[in-house]
Amino acid sequence: MPDESWPADQELLRRHVAGDAEAFGELFRRHRDRLWAVALRTLCDPEEAADALQDAMVSAFRRAGDFRGESAVTTWLHRIVVNASLDRLRRRAARPAMSAGDEEAFEALVAQDGDPARTSDTRLDVNAALRLLPPQQRAALVVVDMLGFSVADAAVILDTSPGTVKSRCARARARLLPHLAHLQGNRTDSESVSPAQGGET
Amino acid sequence: MTHPDIDVLAEFRAGLITGRRGARITAHLADCDRCTGLGDQLAGVSVLLASVPAPAMPDRVAQRLDSVLAAEAARRDNAERAEGDGASESPAPRRPDGHRGFRLLSLRVLAPVAAVVVLAAGGYGLSRLVGPASQTTASSAAGSAARAATPAAAGNAKSAGRANVPAAGPARITPGIVVVTSTTNLSRARLPQQVRAALLVSPAPGRRQAATAQLRGCVLGLIGNHPLQLVESVRFEGRPATLVVARAGATDTAWIAAQDCSATNRHVLASTSLPSGISGP
Repeated sequence: MPDESWPADQELLRRHVAGDAEAFGELFRRHRDRLWAVALRTLCDPEEAADALQDAMVSAFRRAGDFRGESAVTTWLHRIVVNASLDRLRRRAARPAMSAGDEEAFEALVAQDGDPARTSDTRLDVNAALRLLPPQQRAALVVVDMLGFSVADAAVILDTSPGTVKSRCARARARLLPHLAHLQGNRTDSESVSPAQGGET
Repeated sequence: MTHPDIDVLAEFRAGLITGRRGARITAHLADCDRCTGLGDQLAGVSVLLASVPAPAMPDRVAQRLDSVLAAEAARRDNAERAEGDGASESPAPRRPDGHRGFRLLSLRVLAPVAAVVVLAAGGYGLSRLVGPASQTTASSAAGSAARAATPAAAGNAKSAGRANVPAAGPARITPGIVVVTSTTNLSRARLPQQVRAALLVSPAPGRRQAATAQLRGCVLGLIGNHPLQLVESVRFEGRPATLVVARAGATDTAWIAAQDCSATNRHVLASTSLPSGISGP
Protein backbone atom coordinates (compact mmCIF):
# COMPACT_ATOMS: atom_id res chain seq x y z
CA MET A 1 0.00 0.00 0.00
CA PRO A 2 1.28 3.47 -0.77
CA ASP A 3 1.66 5.69 2.24
CA GLU A 4 -0.63 8.63 2.83
CA SER A 5 1.42 11.19 1.01
CA TRP A 6 1.45 9.27 -2.24
CA PRO A 7 0.15 10.00 -4.73
CA ALA A 8 0.36 13.74 -4.19
CA ASP A 9 -2.86 15.68 -3.75
CA GLN A 10 -2.41 17.34 -7.09
CA GLU A 11 -1.94 13.98 -8.77
CA LEU A 12 -5.15 12.71 -7.19
CA LEU A 13 -6.99 15.76 -8.40
CA ARG A 14 -5.56 15.28 -11.88
CA ARG A 15 -6.73 11.68 -11.91
CA HIS A 16 -10.14 12.77 -10.77
CA VAL A 17 -10.41 15.28 -13.59
CA ALA A 18 -9.23 12.59 -15.99
CA GLY A 19 -12.09 10.34 -14.93
CA ASP A 20 -10.75 8.22 -12.08
CA ALA A 21 -13.82 7.45 -9.99
CA GLU A 22 -11.94 6.93 -6.75
CA ALA A 23 -9.39 9.72 -6.77
CA PHE A 24 -11.58 12.44 -5.33
CA GLY A 25 -12.87 10.21 -2.56
CA GLU A 26 -9.32 9.42 -1.60
CA LEU A 27 -8.38 13.08 -1.62
CA PHE A 28 -11.33 13.86 0.60
CA ARG A 29 -10.59 11.06 3.04
CA ARG A 30 -7.05 12.31 3.32
CA HIS A 31 -8.13 15.76 4.49
CA ARG A 32 -11.56 15.21 5.89
CA ASP A 33 -10.78 15.72 9.57
CA ARG A 34 -9.27 19.14 8.95
CA LEU A 35 -12.04 20.09 6.55
CA TRP A 36 -14.56 18.97 9.13
CA ALA A 37 -12.78 20.99 11.79
CA VAL A 38 -12.90 24.19 9.78
CA ALA A 39 -16.59 23.75 8.95
CA LEU A 40 -17.56 22.78 12.49
CA ARG A 41 -15.64 25.58 14.14
CA THR A 42 -16.81 28.18 11.67
CA LEU A 43 -20.44 27.17 11.98
CA CYS A 44 -20.44 25.97 15.61
CA ASP A 45 -23.13 23.45 14.71
CA PRO A 46 -22.51 19.85 13.64
CA GLU A 47 -25.60 19.57 11.45
CA GLU A 48 -24.86 22.80 9.65
CA ALA A 49 -21.23 21.81 9.34
CA ALA A 50 -22.14 18.49 7.74
CA ASP A 51 -24.43 20.24 5.27
CA ALA A 52 -21.83 22.85 4.44
CA LEU A 53 -19.14 20.24 3.97
CA GLN A 54 -21.40 18.25 1.68
CA ASP A 55 -22.18 21.32 -0.43
CA ALA A 56 -18.50 22.13 -0.55
CA MET A 57 -17.33 18.68 -1.56
CA VAL A 58 -19.94 18.29 -4.28
CA SER A 59 -18.90 21.68 -5.58
CA ALA A 60 -15.22 20.78 -5.44
CA PHE A 61 -15.92 17.45 -7.14
CA ARG A 62 -17.64 19.20 -10.04
CA ARG A 63 -15.33 22.19 -10.27
CA ALA A 64 -12.05 20.33 -9.94
CA GLY A 65 -11.25 21.11 -13.57
CA ASP A 66 -11.09 24.80 -12.63
CA PHE A 67 -8.26 24.22 -10.19
CA ARG A 68 -5.20 25.93 -11.65
CA GLY A 69 -2.56 24.93 -9.15
CA GLU A 70 -2.02 28.49 -7.94
CA SER A 71 -2.33 27.24 -4.39
CA ALA A 72 -2.00 23.85 -2.76
CA VAL A 73 -4.92 21.50 -3.30
CA THR A 74 -5.62 21.50 0.42
CA THR A 75 -5.78 25.31 0.44
CA TRP A 76 -8.24 25.18 -2.42
CA LEU A 77 -10.39 22.61 -0.59
CA HIS A 78 -10.38 24.67 2.60
CA ARG A 79 -11.37 27.75 0.65
CA ILE A 80 -14.42 25.99 -0.76
CA VAL A 81 -15.40 24.71 2.69
CA VAL A 82 -14.99 28.11 4.33
CA ASN A 83 -17.05 29.71 1.57
CA ALA A 84 -19.83 27.18 2.00
CA SER A 85 -19.74 27.67 5.76
CA LEU A 86 -19.88 31.45 5.60
CA ASP A 87 -22.69 31.22 3.04
CA ARG A 88 -24.69 29.22 5.53
CA LEU A 89 -24.00 31.70 8.28
CA ARG A 90 -25.19 34.53 6.05
CA ARG A 91 -28.35 32.64 5.23
CA ARG A 92 -29.19 32.04 8.86
CA ALA A 93 -28.21 35.58 9.86
CA ALA A 94 -31.82 36.17 10.85
CA ARG A 95 -31.13 34.18 13.97
CA PRO A 96 -30.37 36.28 17.01
CA ALA A 97 -26.66 36.84 17.23
CA MET A 98 -24.65 36.38 20.38
CA SER A 99 -23.17 39.48 21.89
CA ALA A 100 -19.74 39.25 23.35
CA GLY A 101 -20.80 40.46 26.76
CA ASP A 102 -23.66 38.06 27.20
CA GLU A 103 -22.22 36.02 30.04
CA GLU A 104 -25.43 34.19 30.75
CA ALA A 105 -25.74 32.90 27.22
CA PHE A 106 -22.06 32.09 27.26
CA GLU A 107 -22.47 29.91 30.32
CA ALA A 108 -25.46 28.20 28.75
CA LEU A 109 -23.47 27.44 25.66
CA VAL A 110 -20.65 25.99 27.70
CA ALA A 111 -23.15 23.76 29.43
CA GLN A 112 -24.82 22.46 26.28
CA ASP A 113 -21.86 22.09 23.98
CA GLY A 114 -20.79 18.59 23.13
CA ASP A 115 -20.37 15.53 25.26
CA PRO A 116 -18.45 16.43 28.41
CA ALA A 117 -17.30 12.87 28.93
CA ARG A 118 -15.45 12.85 25.65
CA THR A 119 -14.44 16.45 25.38
CA SER A 120 -11.80 18.19 27.35
CA ASP A 121 -12.67 21.28 29.30
CA THR A 122 -10.31 23.22 27.13
CA ARG A 123 -12.06 22.22 23.96
CA LEU A 124 -15.44 22.99 25.48
CA ASP A 125 -14.32 26.41 26.55
CA VAL A 126 -12.65 27.12 23.24
CA ASN A 127 -15.69 26.03 21.25
CA ALA A 128 -17.97 28.15 23.38
CA ALA A 129 -15.70 31.13 23.14
CA LEU A 130 -15.45 30.81 19.36
CA ARG A 131 -19.20 31.29 19.15
CA LEU A 132 -18.78 34.75 20.55
CA LEU A 133 -16.85 35.93 17.52
CA PRO A 134 -18.29 37.44 14.37
CA PRO A 135 -18.13 34.82 11.59
CA GLN A 136 -15.36 36.43 9.57
CA GLN A 137 -13.12 36.80 12.61
CA ARG A 138 -13.92 33.27 13.69
CA ALA A 139 -13.07 31.81 10.30
CA ALA A 140 -9.77 33.69 10.21
CA LEU A 141 -8.79 32.59 13.69
CA VAL A 142 -9.73 28.97 13.01
CA VAL A 143 -7.70 28.87 9.83
CA VAL A 144 -4.61 30.62 11.18
CA ASP A 145 -4.38 29.80 14.88
CA MET A 146 -6.18 26.47 15.03
CA LEU A 147 -5.29 24.87 11.71
CA GLY A 148 -1.91 26.53 11.37
CA PHE A 149 -2.20 27.96 7.86
CA SER A 150 0.16 30.79 7.01
CA VAL A 151 -1.36 34.24 6.71
CA ALA A 152 -0.74 34.09 2.96
CA ASP A 153 -2.61 30.79 2.58
CA ALA A 154 -5.33 32.00 4.92
CA ALA A 155 -5.80 35.03 2.68
CA VAL A 156 -6.43 32.66 -0.23
CA ILE A 157 -8.80 30.53 1.82
CA LEU A 158 -10.72 33.55 3.11
CA ASP A 159 -10.58 35.37 -0.21
CA THR A 160 -9.18 38.54 1.27
CA SER A 161 -5.86 40.31 1.78
CA PRO A 162 -3.15 39.18 4.22
CA GLY A 163 -3.60 42.45 6.10
CA THR A 164 -7.28 41.75 6.62
CA VAL A 165 -6.47 38.24 7.83
CA LYS A 166 -4.04 39.66 10.38
CA SER A 167 -6.54 42.26 11.49
CA ARG A 168 -9.38 39.77 11.91
CA CYS A 169 -7.14 37.41 13.83
CA ALA A 170 -5.86 40.19 16.08
CA ARG A 171 -9.34 41.38 16.96
CA ALA A 172 -10.53 37.84 17.50
CA ARG A 173 -7.65 37.10 19.89
CA ALA A 174 -8.36 40.27 21.81
CA ARG A 175 -11.99 39.36 22.06
CA LEU A 176 -11.33 35.82 23.21
CA LEU A 177 -8.69 36.72 25.76
CA PRO A 178 -11.07 37.38 28.68
CA HIS A 179 -12.78 34.06 28.02
CA LEU A 180 -9.70 31.93 27.61
CA ALA A 181 -7.17 33.54 29.94
CA HIS A 182 -8.08 31.14 32.73
CA LEU A 183 -6.85 28.24 30.57
CA GLN A 184 -3.44 29.68 30.02
CA GLY A 185 -1.92 28.58 33.29
CA ASN A 186 -0.21 30.52 36.01
CA ARG A 187 0.65 33.65 34.08
CA THR A 188 -2.91 34.81 34.42
CA ASP A 189 -4.67 36.73 37.10
CA SER A 190 -8.20 37.78 36.58
CA GLU A 191 -7.53 41.44 37.16
CA SER A 192 -5.05 41.74 34.34
CA VAL A 193 -7.43 40.53 31.67
CA SER A 194 -10.14 43.10 32.08
CA PRO A 195 -10.09 45.15 28.91
CA ALA A 196 -8.21 48.39 29.03
CA GLN A 197 -9.98 51.66 28.80
CA GLY A 198 -11.23 52.56 25.37
CA GLY A 199 -13.97 50.55 23.73
CA GLU A 200 -13.90 48.36 20.70
CA THR A 201 -14.54 49.93 17.40
CA MET B 1 0.58 57.51 27.75
CA THR B 2 -2.61 55.71 28.69
CA HIS B 3 -2.66 51.96 28.27
CA PRO B 4 -3.43 50.98 24.70
CA ASP B 5 -6.70 49.28 24.00
CA ILE B 6 -6.40 45.48 23.88
CA ASP B 7 -7.42 45.52 20.20
CA VAL B 8 -4.56 47.89 19.57
CA LEU B 9 -2.17 45.64 21.44
CA ALA B 10 -3.35 42.67 19.38
CA GLU B 11 -2.93 44.56 16.13
CA PHE B 12 0.48 45.74 17.22
CA ARG B 13 1.51 42.18 17.91
CA ALA B 14 0.22 41.16 14.47
CA GLY B 15 2.52 43.72 12.88
CA LEU B 16 -0.31 45.96 11.77
CA ILE B 17 0.80 49.04 13.67
CA THR B 18 4.11 50.53 12.61
CA GLY B 19 5.72 53.91 12.24
CA ARG B 20 5.40 56.57 14.91
CA ARG B 21 2.35 54.95 16.48
CA GLY B 22 4.14 51.63 16.67
CA ALA B 23 7.15 53.26 18.26
CA ARG B 24 4.96 54.80 20.96
CA ILE B 25 3.51 51.40 21.80
CA THR B 26 6.96 49.86 21.89
CA ALA B 27 8.06 52.54 24.32
CA HIS B 28 4.99 52.05 26.45
CA LEU B 29 5.49 48.30 26.64
CA ALA B 30 9.04 48.78 27.83
CA ASP B 31 7.69 50.53 30.92
CA CYS B 32 4.37 48.82 31.52
CA ASP B 33 4.24 45.34 33.03
CA ARG B 34 0.48 45.26 32.73
CA CYS B 35 0.46 45.74 28.98
CA THR B 36 3.43 43.43 28.51
CA GLY B 37 1.49 40.80 30.42
CA LEU B 38 -1.56 41.34 28.26
CA GLY B 39 0.59 40.97 25.17
CA ASP B 40 1.91 37.67 26.49
CA GLN B 41 -1.62 36.54 27.14
CA LEU B 42 -2.61 37.40 23.59
CA ALA B 43 0.22 35.21 22.37
CA GLY B 44 -1.08 32.60 24.80
CA VAL B 45 -4.47 32.64 23.09
CA SER B 46 -2.85 31.52 19.85
CA VAL B 47 -0.84 28.85 21.65
CA LEU B 48 -3.95 27.60 23.38
CA LEU B 49 -5.98 27.49 20.17
CA ALA B 50 -3.22 25.61 18.39
CA SER B 51 -3.17 23.04 21.18
CA VAL B 52 -6.81 22.03 20.72
CA PRO B 53 -6.82 18.91 18.58
CA ALA B 54 -8.98 18.93 15.49
CA PRO B 55 -12.14 16.94 16.15
CA ALA B 56 -12.34 13.77 14.10
CA MET B 57 -15.19 13.71 11.65
CA PRO B 58 -18.04 11.69 13.17
CA ASP B 59 -18.62 8.35 11.45
CA ARG B 60 -22.11 9.22 10.36
CA VAL B 61 -20.87 12.37 8.61
CA ALA B 62 -18.02 10.47 6.98
CA GLN B 63 -20.46 7.83 5.74
CA ARG B 64 -22.83 10.40 4.40
CA LEU B 65 -20.10 12.22 2.51
CA ASP B 66 -18.67 8.98 1.17
CA SER B 67 -22.09 8.09 -0.23
CA VAL B 68 -22.54 11.54 -1.70
CA LEU B 69 -19.16 11.41 -3.42
CA ALA B 70 -19.75 7.87 -4.63
CA ALA B 71 -23.05 8.99 -6.10
CA GLU B 72 -21.32 11.94 -7.76
CA ALA B 73 -18.73 9.61 -9.26
CA ALA B 74 -21.43 7.27 -10.52
CA ARG B 75 -23.40 10.13 -12.01
CA ARG B 76 -20.34 11.51 -13.75
CA ASP B 77 -19.37 8.14 -15.10
CA ASN B 78 -22.86 7.67 -16.44
CA ALA B 79 -22.87 11.07 -18.07
CA GLU B 80 -19.51 10.43 -19.73
CA ARG B 81 -20.77 7.14 -21.01
CA ALA B 82 -23.86 8.73 -22.43
CA GLU B 83 -21.75 11.22 -24.34
CA GLY B 84 -20.14 8.39 -26.22
CA ASP B 85 -16.51 7.41 -26.61
CA GLY B 86 -15.89 9.23 -29.88
CA ALA B 87 -16.79 12.62 -28.47
CA SER B 88 -14.49 12.33 -25.49
CA GLU B 89 -11.58 11.00 -27.49
CA SER B 90 -11.40 13.67 -30.18
CA PRO B 91 -10.57 16.85 -28.25
CA ALA B 92 -6.87 16.31 -27.79
CA PRO B 93 -4.85 14.90 -24.94
CA ARG B 94 -6.71 16.11 -21.90
CA ARG B 95 -6.45 12.63 -20.57
CA PRO B 96 -2.84 11.82 -19.73
CA ASP B 97 -1.17 8.73 -21.15
CA GLY B 98 -1.00 6.92 -17.86
CA HIS B 99 -4.66 7.31 -17.34
CA ARG B 100 -5.55 6.26 -20.84
CA GLY B 101 -3.76 3.05 -20.06
CA PHE B 102 -5.73 2.72 -16.88
CA ARG B 103 -9.03 3.06 -18.69
CA LEU B 104 -8.08 0.58 -21.36
CA LEU B 105 -6.91 -1.84 -18.76
CA SER B 106 -10.13 -1.53 -16.84
CA LEU B 107 -12.16 -2.30 -19.95
CA ARG B 108 -9.99 -5.22 -20.81
CA VAL B 109 -10.28 -6.70 -17.37
CA LEU B 110 -13.98 -6.10 -17.13
CA ALA B 111 -15.01 -8.71 -19.65
CA PRO B 112 -13.18 -11.65 -18.07
CA VAL B 113 -14.49 -10.63 -14.69
CA ALA B 114 -18.03 -10.81 -15.93
CA ALA B 115 -17.36 -14.23 -17.34
CA VAL B 116 -15.88 -15.46 -14.10
CA VAL B 117 -18.88 -14.26 -12.17
CA VAL B 118 -21.24 -16.11 -14.44
CA LEU B 119 -19.23 -19.30 -14.20
CA ALA B 120 -18.80 -19.10 -10.49
CA ALA B 121 -22.41 -18.26 -9.97
CA GLY B 122 -23.64 -21.65 -11.05
CA GLY B 123 -27.10 -22.27 -9.76
CA TYR B 124 -27.60 -20.38 -6.57
CA GLY B 125 -25.51 -17.35 -7.33
CA LEU B 126 -27.71 -16.04 -10.05
CA SER B 127 -29.49 -13.57 -7.89
CA ARG B 128 -26.18 -11.74 -7.86
CA LEU B 129 -26.23 -11.21 -11.56
CA VAL B 130 -29.12 -8.92 -12.01
CA GLY B 131 -28.31 -6.22 -14.45
CA PRO B 132 -25.92 -6.00 -17.36
CA ALA B 133 -27.40 -7.43 -20.51
CA SER B 134 -24.43 -9.64 -21.33
CA GLN B 135 -24.50 -11.27 -17.97
CA THR B 136 -28.21 -11.79 -18.03
CA THR B 137 -27.95 -13.39 -21.43
CA ALA B 138 -25.13 -15.60 -20.32
CA SER B 139 -26.87 -16.62 -17.18
CA SER B 140 -29.99 -17.67 -18.99
CA ALA B 141 -27.84 -20.40 -20.49
CA ALA B 142 -26.80 -21.52 -17.08
CA GLY B 143 -29.77 -23.75 -16.60
CA SER B 144 -33.44 -23.68 -16.00
CA ALA B 145 -33.09 -24.64 -12.39
CA ALA B 146 -31.12 -21.52 -11.75
CA ARG B 147 -33.62 -19.39 -13.60
CA ALA B 148 -36.42 -20.84 -11.60
CA ALA B 149 -34.58 -20.03 -8.44
CA THR B 150 -34.52 -16.34 -9.13
CA PRO B 151 -37.46 -15.32 -11.24
CA ALA B 152 -37.88 -12.08 -9.40
CA ALA B 153 -34.27 -11.16 -9.93
CA ALA B 154 -34.51 -11.86 -13.63
CA GLY B 155 -37.54 -9.63 -13.79
CA ASN B 156 -35.60 -6.94 -12.08
CA ALA B 157 -32.83 -7.25 -14.62
CA LYS B 158 -35.25 -6.39 -17.35
CA SER B 159 -36.63 -3.34 -15.65
CA ALA B 160 -33.70 -1.94 -13.73
CA GLY B 161 -30.89 -3.03 -16.00
CA ARG B 162 -31.61 -0.67 -18.82
CA ALA B 163 -30.65 2.90 -19.22
CA ASN B 164 -34.04 3.73 -20.68
CA VAL B 165 -35.80 3.23 -17.39
CA PRO B 166 -37.53 6.53 -16.77
CA ALA B 167 -36.07 8.78 -14.13
CA ALA B 168 -39.07 8.16 -11.97
CA GLY B 169 -38.50 4.44 -12.38
CA PRO B 170 -38.19 3.50 -8.75
CA ALA B 171 -41.60 4.93 -8.07
CA ARG B 172 -43.33 3.23 -10.99
CA ILE B 173 -41.81 -0.19 -11.15
CA THR B 174 -42.10 -2.60 -8.31
CA PRO B 175 -39.74 -5.37 -9.22
CA GLY B 176 -39.14 -8.16 -6.82
CA ILE B 177 -35.70 -7.98 -5.24
CA VAL B 178 -34.09 -11.13 -4.03
CA VAL B 179 -32.03 -10.92 -0.92
CA VAL B 180 -29.19 -13.35 -0.40
CA THR B 181 -28.73 -14.19 3.23
CA SER B 182 -25.15 -14.67 4.28
CA THR B 183 -23.12 -14.75 7.43
CA THR B 184 -20.50 -12.40 6.07
CA ASN B 185 -19.33 -9.80 8.54
CA LEU B 186 -18.08 -6.77 6.64
CA SER B 187 -15.75 -4.22 8.12
CA ARG B 188 -15.34 -0.61 7.21
CA ALA B 189 -11.60 -0.90 6.77
CA ARG B 190 -11.80 -3.73 4.26
CA LEU B 191 -15.08 -2.88 2.62
CA PRO B 192 -13.87 -2.49 -0.98
CA GLN B 193 -12.02 -5.80 -0.92
CA GLN B 194 -14.89 -7.58 0.80
CA VAL B 195 -17.46 -6.23 -1.61
CA ARG B 196 -15.32 -7.27 -4.54
CA ALA B 197 -15.01 -10.71 -3.03
CA ALA B 198 -18.76 -10.89 -2.49
CA LEU B 199 -19.31 -10.04 -6.15
CA LEU B 200 -16.76 -12.48 -7.45
CA VAL B 201 -17.06 -15.50 -5.22
CA SER B 202 -20.16 -17.59 -5.18
CA PRO B 203 -21.89 -17.36 -1.85
CA ALA B 204 -22.19 -20.08 0.68
CA PRO B 205 -25.51 -21.75 0.08
CA GLY B 206 -27.91 -19.65 2.03
CA ARG B 207 -31.48 -18.64 2.08
CA ARG B 208 -32.87 -16.31 -0.51
CA GLN B 209 -35.99 -14.41 0.07
CA ALA B 210 -37.92 -11.57 -1.41
CA ALA B 211 -37.09 -8.17 -0.05
CA THR B 212 -39.56 -6.56 2.29
CA ALA B 213 -41.32 -3.48 1.02
CA GLN B 214 -39.17 -1.36 3.29
CA LEU B 215 -35.94 -2.85 1.98
CA ARG B 216 -37.14 -2.57 -1.59
CA GLY B 217 -37.78 1.12 -1.05
CA CYS B 218 -34.35 1.50 0.45
CA VAL B 219 -32.62 -0.34 -2.40
CA LEU B 220 -34.45 1.45 -5.18
CA GLY B 221 -33.77 4.76 -3.51
CA LEU B 222 -30.08 4.01 -3.35
CA ILE B 223 -29.50 2.63 -6.82
CA GLY B 224 -31.62 5.07 -8.79
CA ASN B 225 -31.80 3.64 -12.29
CA HIS B 226 -28.48 1.83 -12.14
CA PRO B 227 -28.47 -1.93 -12.64
CA LEU B 228 -28.67 -3.78 -9.37
CA GLN B 229 -25.85 -6.23 -8.83
CA LEU B 230 -26.44 -7.67 -5.44
CA VAL B 231 -28.58 -7.42 -2.37
CA GLU B 232 -27.16 -9.40 0.49
CA SER B 233 -28.20 -9.58 4.08
CA VAL B 234 -24.93 -9.30 5.99
CA ARG B 235 -23.44 -8.10 9.18
CA PHE B 236 -21.48 -4.87 9.18
CA GLU B 237 -19.09 -4.32 12.06
CA GLY B 238 -21.11 -7.00 13.82
CA ARG B 239 -24.52 -5.41 13.28
CA PRO B 240 -27.22 -6.66 10.91
CA ALA B 241 -27.22 -4.65 7.70
CA THR B 242 -27.81 -5.02 3.98
CA LEU B 243 -25.16 -4.86 1.30
CA VAL B 244 -26.47 -3.26 -1.88
CA VAL B 245 -24.36 -3.11 -5.02
CA ALA B 246 -25.26 -1.34 -8.25
CA ARG B 247 -23.23 -0.86 -11.39
CA ALA B 248 -22.70 2.50 -13.00
CA GLY B 249 -20.62 2.08 -16.10
CA ALA B 250 -17.37 0.41 -15.15
CA THR B 251 -17.84 1.26 -11.49
CA ASP B 252 -19.65 -0.74 -8.89
CA THR B 253 -21.07 1.26 -6.04
CA ALA B 254 -21.77 -0.55 -2.81
CA TRP B 255 -23.81 0.69 0.12
CA ILE B 256 -24.20 -0.78 3.56
CA ALA B 257 -27.79 0.01 4.41
CA ALA B 258 -28.80 0.09 8.04
CA GLN B 259 -31.72 -2.01 9.21
CA ASP B 260 -34.03 0.97 9.29
CA CYS B 261 -33.17 2.08 5.76
CA SER B 262 -36.27 2.74 3.68
CA ALA B 263 -37.43 4.79 0.72
CA THR B 264 -37.75 7.83 2.93
CA ASN B 265 -34.85 7.17 5.27
CA ARG B 266 -31.73 6.39 3.30
CA HIS B 267 -29.76 5.32 6.29
CA VAL B 268 -26.40 4.22 4.92
CA LEU B 269 -23.68 3.07 7.29
CA ALA B 270 -20.91 3.01 4.72
CA SER B 271 -20.37 3.01 1.03
CA THR B 272 -17.61 2.44 -1.42
CA SER B 273 -17.13 2.36 -5.13
CA LEU B 274 -15.01 -0.06 -7.04
CA PRO B 275 -13.66 0.39 -10.53
CA SER B 276 -14.44 -3.12 -11.59
CA GLY B 277 -11.48 -5.42 -11.27
CA ILE B 278 -8.92 -2.66 -10.67
CA SER B 279 -7.63 -2.15 -7.19
CA GLY B 280 -5.36 0.79 -7.66
CA PRO B 281 -2.89 2.67 -9.80
